[in-house]
Formats: sequence, structure tokens, C-alpha cells
Amino acid sequence: MFRSAVCRINTVVKGITIQSAARPLTASQRCMSKHSTETDQEFDQRYETFFNRPDIDGWEIRKAMNDLCGMDLVPEPKIINAALKACRRVSDFALAVRFLEAVKDRCGAKVKEIYPYILQEIRPTLDELGINTPEELGYDKPELALQSVYEM
Amino acid sequence: MVVPNMASRLLMSSLRHLQKIPKAGMSSGHSKIGGREVVGYGFNGQPNYVDRIDFPLPAIRFKENTPDIQALREKEKGDWRKLSLEEKKALYRASFCQTFAEMKAPTGEWKSVVGLSLIFISLSVWVYMGMKLFVYRPLPDSFTDEAKEAQLRRMIDLRVNPIDGLTSKWDYEQGKWK
Repeated sequence: MFRSAVCRINTVVKGITIQSAARPLTASQRCMSKHSTETDQEFDQRYETFFNRPDIDGWEIRKAMNDLCGMDLVPEPKIINAALKACRRVSDFALAVRFLEAVKDRCGAKVKEIYPYILQEIRPTLDELGINTPEELGYDKPELALQSVYEM
Repeated sequence: MVVPNMASRLLMSSLRHLQKIPKAGMSSGHSKIGGREVVGYGFNGQPNYVDRIDFPLPAIRFKENTPDIQALREKEKGDWRKLSLEEKKALYRASFCQTFAEMKAPTGEWKSVVGLSLIFISLSVWVYMGMKLFVYRPLPDSFTDEAKEAQLRRMIDLRVNPIDGLTSKWDYEQGKWK
């Protein structure tokens, strides 16, 4: 029993030493740093090119939009333009309107300053694609009431 | 040798069981969504629909693909400028349940919360009054004004805390407060 235990430990130790010897060669970059070195311009560029990909699908659009909505920022108008055009390519009208709503919500307390600016910047795209703003659809105010699931 | 072998076998069988769990969860999730189209990644990896402000695009559409919605989707592939406002709203409601304005609309629940809190606070005051009237004994004699004065007099006589406390404020020569 002792011998088998020693054999096992031996193989485990050997595996560890081989791994640690191999590590400097394979892993040249540590993917665990918290600090991002990406500038704001690079960030905007990254999302714009992502949305501009010609073969983008609905999953990827939703993923990027959800990510943007989870961050502490309001997306730049050029990102929104690219996102709306991506929605057009996958033919999902609801997605475009929902994203506009989400962007408006991201403006937070400064919605009166930021949102008109964004609308002014994306107006050509809206007109080109035939997308309505949430206000034009009447979604700036609650339209339908939802019955509570506890009272059904 | 028998015991470790058995232990490792147990470990392996439990691990095998663990690997099966996500698959089972996935299949049950799919069976619950009916004919609704999976269009994205859910906030917890499951195909579910929740209206969330921090995750506005849920994994599945809100409505099933009925024939009239299917017809709308065909029309959606054409020029969006030719869609009427009603069709656009129908498309939105086919994908999503509530708009942001509806999600954030006040429910008025705070009124019942405040009202119930006040009711319970007043109830507890009544309970306290009942206890005071029918349960508790009267306060002891030491709470009367004479007893409290006598206590103070005695503390002054004992020179309690003479440097920066009670009797430091007492003038012993004139017999009154400084």
C-alpha cells in the first residue's frame, strides 16, 4: 500500500514539474489582469466594428447589446448607428427599438441632455432604415398594464 | 487497498452524476418555452424570458410564432418604412412583453407598505398601553421626585466625581450649584 501511494505521489509530482516547466513556453500572456489598457476610442471602435461585421447574427447582436447595457456608460452614437444597421441585416425591428429604449434608460438622470443629442446624431440612420423612436411608438409612457402573476 | 478503491469509485460515480445535471436542466428549460424561438443567450444561460433593465434582451421571444406573427416576420424582411405603426408595435410585442416605461412604472405598492407599517406601529402602542394598565406593577418608590432629590443630596454629600463630574458643579461653601 505504501509503495502504491509513493508511486502515485511520484506521478503527480512529475506531472506538476512537467507542467511548470512547460508553462513559460506556452503562456506568454496572463489573462487575469483587472486593469484594462483599452482607451475609450479603442472601446468604441471595437464595438462599432463588431456591429459592422457583415455576417453578424442575432445572438451576437444581443450579446453585445446586453454587455453594453451592463456597463457604466452610454454608447456613442456611432455604435448605436452600427447596431441599428446590424438589426436591419438580421431583420429584427423589435431589437432596434428595444436597444433605443435601453440607451435612453442608460442616460439616467441626464436623459434630457444626452438623449436629444443621441437622437440628433442617429436621425439619418433612423430615417434611412425606417426605425421609429420609442416616443413615436408611444413607448415613452406605459401603454399596457401587466397583471401580477400572484393575482391570476 | 479495498477502502481507497471504494472511495475513488464513489467519487467517480458522484462526479459522473454531477456532469449529468446541466444537461437535464437544459432539456427541462427547453420543454417549458413551447414554440417560442430561442434568439439569444439568457442571463443565466437558460432559455427564459425576464424583462430586466440591466439585461434588456432575453434569450427567447415573448410570443410563440403564430401564423400571423410569421406573416409579419416575412414582411419585416422587406423595407421597414413600409410597415405601419400597428405592425411595428405588434412586432415589438411579439419579441418583448413590457416596454422600459412599463417596467419602470410605479406600482403604488409603497402605499400599502406605509399603511401597514403605521397600523402595526399603532397596534404596538396599544399593546404597550394595555400592559401598562393591566400587567406591569406601578413604578418603585425610588422614581418619585422626593426619592430622586434625596438620592441627589446623598451623592453631593458623598462628593461623587468631584473633578469634572457631578459635584464639581456644586459649591460646598455656599451650598448651591455653581
